[in-house]
Amino acid sequence: MRQDRWIGPYMRMYSGRFALYLILGVLTLLAASMLMFTSGFLISKSATQPYNILLVYVPIVGVRAFGIGRAVIHYVERLVGHDTVLRILSKMRVRLYKILEPQALFIRSRFRTGDILGALADDIEQLQNVYIRTVFPSLIALILYAAAVIGIGMFDVTFALLIALYIFILVAVLPYISLKLTQKMNIDIKRERNGLYQKLTDAVMGIGDWVISGRTGDFLSKYEQDEVKVMTIDRQLRAWSRWRSLIGQLVMGLAVVSMIYWSAGQVATGDLNPVMIAAFVLVVFPLTDAFLPVSEAVQRIPEYRESLNRLNRISGEDHADEEMHVPADVANVDIAAASRKAHFQLQQVSYAYGANDANSVDDVSLDVPQGKRVAIIGRSGAGKSTLLKLIMGAIEPTQGTVTINGIPSSHFGDDMPKIISVLNQSPHLFDTTVSNNIMLGRPDASNEDIFKAAEQAQIGELIASLPNGLDTPMRETGQRFSGGERQRVALARVLLQDTPVLILDEPTVGLDPRTERELLSTIFHTTLGKTLIWVTHHLVGAEWMDEIIFMEHGKIIMRGTHAELIEAEPRYRNLYKLDRPSE
Amino acid sequence: MGRGLMKYKGIKPVLVVIAGLTLIQSIAIILQAKWLAEVISALFAGAKLQEQAGGVGLFLLAFIVRQVCGLFEQKAAYRFAEQTGQSLRKEVLSKLFELGPRFAGQEGTGNLVTTVLEGVAKFRNYLELFLPRMLATGITPILILAYVYTLDTTSAVILTVTMPILIVFMILIGLTAKKQTERQWKTYRVLSNHFVDSLRGLETLKFLGRSKKHGDSIERVSDSYRSATMRTLRVAFLSSFALDFFTMLSVASVAVSLGLPLIDGKMTLLTALTILILAPEYFLPVRMVGADYHATLDGKEAGQAMEDIIQAAEKEAALAATVPEDAVLAWTPNSHLCLQGVGITYEEEGRPSLQDVNVTFSGLGKIGIIGESGAGKSTLIDILGGFLRPTRGSFELNGSTLGDLGASGWREQITYIPQKPYIFSSSLKDNIRFNTPDATKSEVEQAAAAAGLDSLIKDLPNGLDEPIGGGGRPLSGGQEQRVALARALLSDRPIILLDEPTAHLDIETEYELKETMLPLFEGKLVLLATHRLHWMRNMDHIIVMDQGCVAEIGTHDELMAKKGVYYQLVESQREGIQ
Repeated sequence: MRQDRWIGPYMRMYSGRFALYLILGVLTLLAASMLMFTSGFLISKSATQPYNILLVYVPIVGVRAFGIGRAVIHYVERLVGHDTVLRILSKMRVRLYKILEPQALFIRSRFRTGDILGALADDIEQLQNVYIRTVFPSLIALILYAAAVIGIGMFDVTFALLIALYIFILVAVLPYISLKLTQKMNIDIKRERNGLYQKLTDAVMGIGDWVISGRTGDFLSKYEQDEVKVMTIDRQLRAWSRWRSLIGQLVMGLAVVSMIYWSAGQVATGDLNPVMIAAFVLVVFPLTDAFLPVSEAVQRIPEYRESLNRLNRISGEDHADEEMHVPADVANVDIAAASRKAHFQLQQVSYAYGANDANSVDDVSLDVPQGKRVAIIGRSGAGKSTLLKLIMGAIEPTQGTVTINGIPSSHFGDDMPKIISVLNQSPHLFDTTVSNNIMLGRPDASNEDIFKAAEQAQIGELIASLPNGLDTPMRETGQRFSGGERQRVALARVLLQDTPVLILDEPTVGLDPRTERELLSTIFHTTLGKTLIWVTHHLVGAEWMDEIIFMEHGKIIMRGTHAELIEAEPRYRNLYKLDRPSE
Repeated sequence: MGRGLMKYKGIKPVLVVIAGLTLIQSIAIILQAKWLAEVISALFAGAKLQEQAGGVGLFLLAFIVRQVCGLFEQKAAYRFAEQTGQSLRKEVLSKLFELGPRFAGQEGTGNLVTTVLEGVAKFRNYLELFLPRMLATGITPILILAYVYTLDTTSAVILTVTMPILIVFMILIGLTAKKQTERQWKTYRVLSNHFVDSLRGLETLKFLGRSKKHGDSIERVSDSYRSATMRTLRVAFLSSFALDFFTMLSVASVAVSLGLPLIDGKMTLLTALTILILAPEYFLPVRMVGADYHATLDGKEAGQAMEDIIQAAEKEAALAATVPEDAVLAWTPNSHLCLQGVGITYEEEGRPSLQDVNVTFSGLGKIGIIGESGAGKSTLIDILGGFLRPTRGSFELNGSTLGDLGASGWREQITYIPQKPYIFSSSLKDNIRFNTPDATKSEVEQAAAAAGLDSLIKDLPNGLDEPIGGGGRPLSGGQEQRVALARALLSDRPIILLDEPTAHLDIETEYELKETMLPLFEGKLVLLATHRLHWMRNMDHIIVMDQGCVAEIGTHDELMAKKGVYYQLVESQREGIQ
């Protein structure tokens, strides 16, 4: 387990706070112990009937101070602990973000299944528990262990060793057995639970099919069998945890008895004042309480492993990617020029993802001067997405060249958003106001600019109808915004970004024909003069394009203007009929 | 708290067992304190250690009895929680399947799965913690207090007075914390979701050229989140602080109050020590309740969420129409289904989403259902598939009158292909024979071939046994449709319902899929809802929907000649983009 990358560094970074947290944690337990110790001493001393109450004045003050102190210190301790862990959380989030940021365009294709991003965010939350539930209780127990043994050692080394043995059982033997015994069960139960989660998700997603098939009974009985498996392991785990705490308590009982015998022996030899018997015996209870949670803390270790592994895997990939990244070496003048006017040229471009893979893009040539409108059509897997990545410079062609104004497009790096803006199938609208969402296109935009962009995208009226206009939070209206309206908000953002080139990556999938036509009409009218590269699944609007290319297996198999294709290609005519059913 | 608990099966014997154990445990606690105090005070008085062996033995015995009782209490509670959790899960799951896809869609799959899986775990945890805690709080402090009263009134009074103060403060602070959290809830939610939101929007940020800068914003927001959390925690932790503070103060006060009578010789060390040892034990059950408060609250809410699902299902079941015993649900070329004034109105919306549908389906044939989004196409399909119960109207099927089409006998006549058919996470073969798990390999192969899956199967390394769906090989939209089609063919049911099967596909795939589908529709009753007009030329009849009503019925040619709603639809698509 390479935990040093996600856990150790932060302990060093916040060593001061951690030290404070540890000290407070130790003090909390000491105060609780001292309360019982002083109380025992106080009443024993009082029982000797001293002639003056002032003789027990110090223990009286002590009892009160330790009583109140324990509550106060514990309160502060918890606050310091949570504050520190939240600081770490913040740093971890930034770090994870910085690791993922360069791979942004590839995350979706790299982790096809599941919500990897949500899982990573959860992993980081999970790591908080490493500190609060495992590392600190264990460290505090160890410190107290040392303190207790040294404290008793000052009176009697032999007895200190016996107590050391008892506590050793609590802080080392039991946790070790616990970890060994439950490790496999914990891993099994986690795996089984994940299985249950997937099975149930699968069943609920396909619930319509189950209902129609009339086989829901089959599913339920099969699912229940799996649940019983988990239940059996869980039952064993719980049985062990009950036994473990019983064993811990018995050790504690033995420690009390030993303490009685020892202190009685010490009193008999005159080494200990009889008033100390009660103090020494009573302090055993609160002290042992500090050692009992260690087993629980250690037993949690396997829970973190998966999160750590996932994070380590991600951070491992990050370095490899950084080396691949070509630093931007384009002169500012050229960037400025390209952000006004960009001429794309693809010359016999091929790209394969691996050395042994077939070309995803195969010998594609395309000339796109400023203002040209190109539609790309093809099945899923035909190479459209790869072609877009090549154009955006996210990947470099294995053969041929992709250039903007003669400069390889991959050289533009992080300056690319000044040249190309993208409207895809599901642009992310952030959980903030409508205005902030649009403003992401140009952070220094004035309110008027935002209004203008919104007007152009034809959501002016919609925004006026919102309770707080542009300042209405997006999530609250998320329900009210339709798919077409969400695309229009994203369009306003892209218009504000105001680049010479706009990539449209199937922005109308899932919209009904009328909404699709209206959205496309808005897009086409607001982007006059801009270069459009439009990946589409329908032929609605094909007449607006200067060139339509059909891709299959990475190759361009048909190209031309709408009029040329209608004229020359029967296949195109057939397809066109699907979108324009006429007589 | 926990008033609804009594309805769970077998709770009474469990309560009796745990209460009995708690009683024994409480007595053991008192005896343990008494015997320990006796040993210590005897030693203090100068007694020989050897004479105390009996006393030490008794103490150890009481100590062990106490711990063992605790173990059995937990075990009893765990067993009960396990059984109750299991039966609750079974019930919720079966109700969930009764409620069907509409309900699953409304509540969200993730939400439902979490409610069931984590909810049962939380609920079990709640039962397991709550039963022993409740009884311990009710029994142990009272017994200890009663015993202390027999020993020393002053200490007993201190203990008596502290308990209500402690509880009142805990509740007051708890309420304040809750109020504060609620006040901050909105900002709090935005702050805590910001990170996941940023990660999910990373691609968009990259396109906008904002992704590098956004790192700072994550740090800033995380810090605000920390401040906000700490503000809440400062109040929230006060609740357990109050618990600690009053307990410790009370123990300290008892200790000090014992000192004076001791000095005056009015009390023995034995009495004082017994009380001192018992004082923390007196507060222990309440402190445990405080420590587990959030877990129990969570569990209670989880239990409630599941009860809600069960109740929703029972409400639905109560509404379900009874099927006449002589009803013939099987669909044959001579069958008729007549919809009479069928409509549906959702309470919350007021406006009917489907109204006064009067249509008759007879025998076999291809029926197109067309209209813009929101016209009621999917609602009609859902009613025909039995997923949705109309609020008005009735059905006449083969001469019998039915209130809805939810009868399982009717569902067995149907296969349903939605816009995005769900592909189960298993092999391609199992996905195809989902409705007919006993189908032979050659039957599966035939159906796959007919649905045009041949070339895909050839490309797959494991052929029909290739795992697909979540975790398996991803399929394209067109391939998913073909799998659903193969499934429909294999189950060989007389009716096929299709809801927008091709709109999301690229046009070439759509074209090919249509070519595959059309011949397979022969000899079935096919109901195809779509906004893609090109399908209509191939349909025997067209039902045109407009704003929740059936606007027109007829063939393509009839409707074009009529120049009504259908004609308008065709015209507006022909115009293209202006």
